[in-house]
Amino acid sequence: MAANIIDRRRINGPQRSVEPLYTHVDAAADPFASGRGDGRALDQVRPIFVKTGPLSAHRSESALSSAAAASGAAFYEQGKIRVSCAVYGPRQGRRSSARMGSFDCDFRYAPFACSWKRRSHVKGADEREISLMLEHAIAPAIRLEAYPKACIDAYVTVIESDGKAATIAAAINCISAALADAGIEMYDSVAACSMGLTGARWVADCAQPEEDAASCSMLIAYMPSADEVTYILQHGKTTPEQTDQAVQTCTNMCARVYAVICRYLQDSLE
Amino acid sequence: MPEELVVVTPGRRLGLADEYEPGSGTYMRNGVIYSSILGTRTTREAQEKGDAGDKPVLSVERKSAKFAIPAIGSEVLCRVVRMNPRAASVAIIMVGSTPCQEDFQGTVRVQDIRATEKDLVQMISSFRPGDIIRAEVISLGDQRSYYLATTKNEHGVIFAQSVAGNTMVPVSWEEMQDPKTKDIEKRKCAKTF
Repeated sequence: MAANIIDRRRINGPQRSVEPLYTHVDAAADPFASGRGDGRALDQVRPIFVKTGPLSAHRSESALSSAAAASGAAFYEQGKIRVSCAVYGPRQGRRSSARMGSFDCDFRYAPFACSWKRRSHVKGADEREISLMLEHAIAPAIRLEAYPKACIDAYVTVIESDGKAATIAAAINCISAALADAGIEMYDSVAACSMGLTGARWVADCAQPEEDAASCSMLIAYMPSADEVTYILQHGKTTPEQTDQAVQTCTNMCARVYAVICRYLQDSLE
Repeated sequence: MPEELVVVTPGRRLGLADEYEPGSGTYMRNGVIYSSILGTRTTREAQEKGDAGDKPVLSVERKSAKFAIPAIGSEVLCRVVRMNPRAASVAIIMVGSTPCQEDFQGTVRVQDIRATEKDLVQMISSFRPGDIIRAEVISLGDQRSYYLATTKNEHGVIFAQSVAGNTMVPVSWEEMQDPKTKDIEKRKCAKTF
């Protein structure tokens, strides 16, 4: 096909492709020489708070009620990030097979979640993409073969966001807590943590201004008891050694976040 | 040994498969029993002796509402939603004594209503929309619904209202009577005693 003819039946991509431009980062510069904005250490995650249980004042107990209450719910805070999640299920699935159940995630930002702009209530493409990310991160942890033909739905709402990678990590942690509250059978809870590459150093759990200044961000979702990483998301350009180092460090931080979430889950039952 | 309440989160190592039998709320990997839900670790002595061994059963239990999904062979409670001469569509509301989070969809085919004289069964004389029936899951079915059967004596209609609106009482395995108007309506009744 000649290069000038446009195929009207399909969405046309660009005729030529070029390599993406990466902002040049001065490796010697160290913006954190005098410490971080909130006084944290470079490998310190923001303080976490988890509350599980129904979010509304009353909960419908009747088995025959038409408006089903959520099986489990959790509210998660990490610094200024606030995320809430409700889990419904196991219930009849449309795309689940006779062998295994399916896990669906619905992620959305509240319109007031980002402090610098107001979002539309209509779901954007990035929210749909993050929903798929959360499904990939959490589904390996759920014992879906125990729920044939059923589906488990998680609805995540970000009430306040502070750093995109950190917010997705917070969403993963929130879903884990809500699934545990719902009594869904899992191999292990998934704990997630994010890092940002500033200069030559990896900084843990970047807030929005720190993420804007970073050249690369990395998100890891990890299951400590099986020692398995369920999801890695990297945004930006690194050398293989830097990625390797980030995966090692982030996995250790995920294990620490996991311990905090488990502590809250245990306290919720006592 | 004093029983202490240990709350465990999913993925916690509970014991070795050599010493314990895995119960509900647990899974096994590489000979180690892990917890799969958030709950309290419970040990129970083995019920049956013999080939299974006398290993105590290790399980994780949770008191709050647990929602069930139908499995093959489980007894379910359903409400008849739609009917046609070949099959009845039902909404499964309970599995055993555990409610379902949301109604599952089930189908009772006309040949699965009774054990004897299957070709003479008529749907209109067995169920009516709105009846509550007890049935058994015979197959996971297709994408839309589970397949149920009411062939056993203790399965069938357990609650129905007459056309006058009164709760009917079963008088035989195929008839129910309205206590106020004394009208008889045909249903495939469950033997509840």
